Amino acid sequence: MIEVRHVSKEFVSPKKYPGLKGAIKGLFSTEKVVKKAVEDISFTIQDGEIVGYIGSNGAGKSTTIKMMTGIMRPTSGECIVNGINPSAQRKKNAQEIGVVFGQRTQLWWDLPLSESFTILKEIYNVSDKDYTERMKFLNQVLQLDDFFDRPVRTLSLGQRMRADLGAALLHNPRVLYLDEPTIGLDLVVKDNIRAAIKEINEKYQTTVILTTHDIGDIEELCSRIIIIDEGKKIYDGSLEELKDTYGTRRTVSMEIKSPKEIVELDLPGKLGVTEQTCKVAFDEERKVLSVSFDKHKVQVPQVLGAVMELTEVSDIQIQETQLAEIVKEIYNHGLNQADS
Amino acid sequence: MKTIKRYMRLYKVLIVQFFKVIMQSKVDFLMGLFGFFFTQITGILFLYLVFEQIPLLQGWSLEQLIFIYGFAQIPRSIDHLFTDNIWLVAWRLVINGDFDRYMLRPMNVFFQVIAEKLQPDALGELLVGSILVIHSCRKGIVVTDALHIGLFFVSIMAGALIYTSIKLFFASFAFWIKTSGPFLQVAYELADFAKYPTEMYAKGIQFLITWVIPFAFVAYLPASYFLGRGGFFGAGSSNVEVIGIECLIAGLFWCIAYSVFRKGISIYESAGN
Repeated sequence: MIEVRHVSKEFVSPKKYPGLKGAIKGLFSTEKVVKKAVEDISFTIQDGEIVGYIGSNGAGKSTTIKMMTGIMRPTSGECIVNGINPSAQRKKNAQEIGVVFGQRTQLWWDLPLSESFTILKEIYNVSDKDYTERMKFLNQVLQLDDFFDRPVRTLSLGQRMRADLGAALLHNPRVLYLDEPTIGLDLVVKDNIRAAIKEINEKYQTTVILTTHDIGDIEELCSRIIIIDEGKKIYDGSLEELKDTYGTRRTVSMEIKSPKEIVELDLPGKLGVTEQTCKVAFDEERKVLSVSFDKHKVQVPQVLGAVMELTEVSDIQIQETQLAEIVKEIYNHGLNQADS
Repeated sequence: MKTIKRYMRLYKVLIVQFFKVIMQSKVDFLMGLFGFFFTQITGILFLYLVFEQIPLLQGWSLEQLIFIYGFAQIPRSIDHLFTDNIWLVAWRLVINGDFDRYMLRPMNVFFQVIAEKLQPDALGELLVGSILVIHSCRKGIVVTDALHIGLFFVSIMAGALIYTSIKLFFASFAFWIKTSGPFLQVAYELADFAKYPTEMYAKGIQFLITWVIPFAFVAYLPASYFLGRGGFFGAGSSNVEVIGIECLIAGLFWCIAYSVFRKGISIYESAGN
């Protein structure tokens, strides 16, 4: 179990002034700028959960992960990972966790991949028996055999990511931290990586915490997501709940026969809702009328009825709001305004 | 005991990997070795040229100066051989966030830093230093009784530890100011002064390299003890105390440097992606 209790992280840096004059002034000034990267975040993660930790660039995701893994110490508050405080017992914690940073490899760059695994076996004190068993499993899910004898620097990004994931799992960690594990990968490799993460989680009950900008990762892997924005936690719950609560808009697109009649249609007025609740747009070239509305206030048949009274409709498409759009909305405005 | 055994095993594993990497470019390795020999030879040549003009320097003969010069190389090269990676902490690892990887592995951080690299160039220094010291012994200008020989090795170890401590101390500044390379460079280069008798220098520099950044205790002062010259603690003293003080300084500096390093790790901020 991972408990994060009221964790904050502040970065203090000297104040900077613009221009050359400013640079000189900065040398003699003692003013400091305090940046709060993470502010009073708390959550609890149970064993075996896969949690997506998301937020826009600079929201504080990596900072939180770095505090949980023991790289950085929180300014205040504490993390407890399986009863261990990573800041106080760094080595003990390191033995129990696996970490993959998508943009930075932990492997020995100039050596064949097999050598990296040999070194890691020693570092984490993995017994010969465990090593053999573990490698068999990792080979099966990550197909490391294909490039096991090649130097790490010659691997493709996809292969390197598989290798990094394998390396982080060799000592059978109880918690796996993944910081953007699918960044820059093609669709097929992404699928493979996701399948591997799922399989590892199921077989070993490994807790997985991943940060990502890829909505696909979240939809396929995470039963729960935590969203942070400007260092503060703004959402913590299941994916369905997020979709249900915030993905309230639905769009109906209709291809219509005679556009002229439609120009006069006042759909919001007819349905008795505000223009904000029901937005109408018309694409003259394709003769497509799109109506976007709040699904809790307006029903699809109402919209169709109103339009079909005036003209014939030859094709209809109904779209739910995509998770990507919900997330985009949240990043743009913060959650409070997202539902208005 | 179990821990020490484990770390020795790990050290072997890590260093073997390091050699596998550098063996891939033998040319670099040989060039490094050659470069250092070249530096050493010009150093001695310089001494020789000076002595052609001035046969006695503050009462020191050329032979004696060569011994001091050679002796100074030994602790320096031992430190250079084993802990060269500390430079990277000062210049790069902290500011670009690569230090992260040390924090993620279940091993002592300082151990990981030094176990990542051996500096084969240092073998050149070590060889030259040893040759010069052996040469001086043959000339009979060095005291070679059991006590002196025993203390010779003690002094080398203490000297190497002083070097390491000074490097670690200045490199640790990187945790506060991101790159501390320039400071480390300046401090480290002061060591060059200690290859010659400190009496040659102005009082200020003498004081600096004896008591502030005590490179004199690494080279010149112990070397003059092995040459059988007294006088540091007044006329008639044998200077054996110098070795004792050297050990004390080594212990003290190590404790200070290592605590600063640990404090630095505790405030390590990593780097953004």
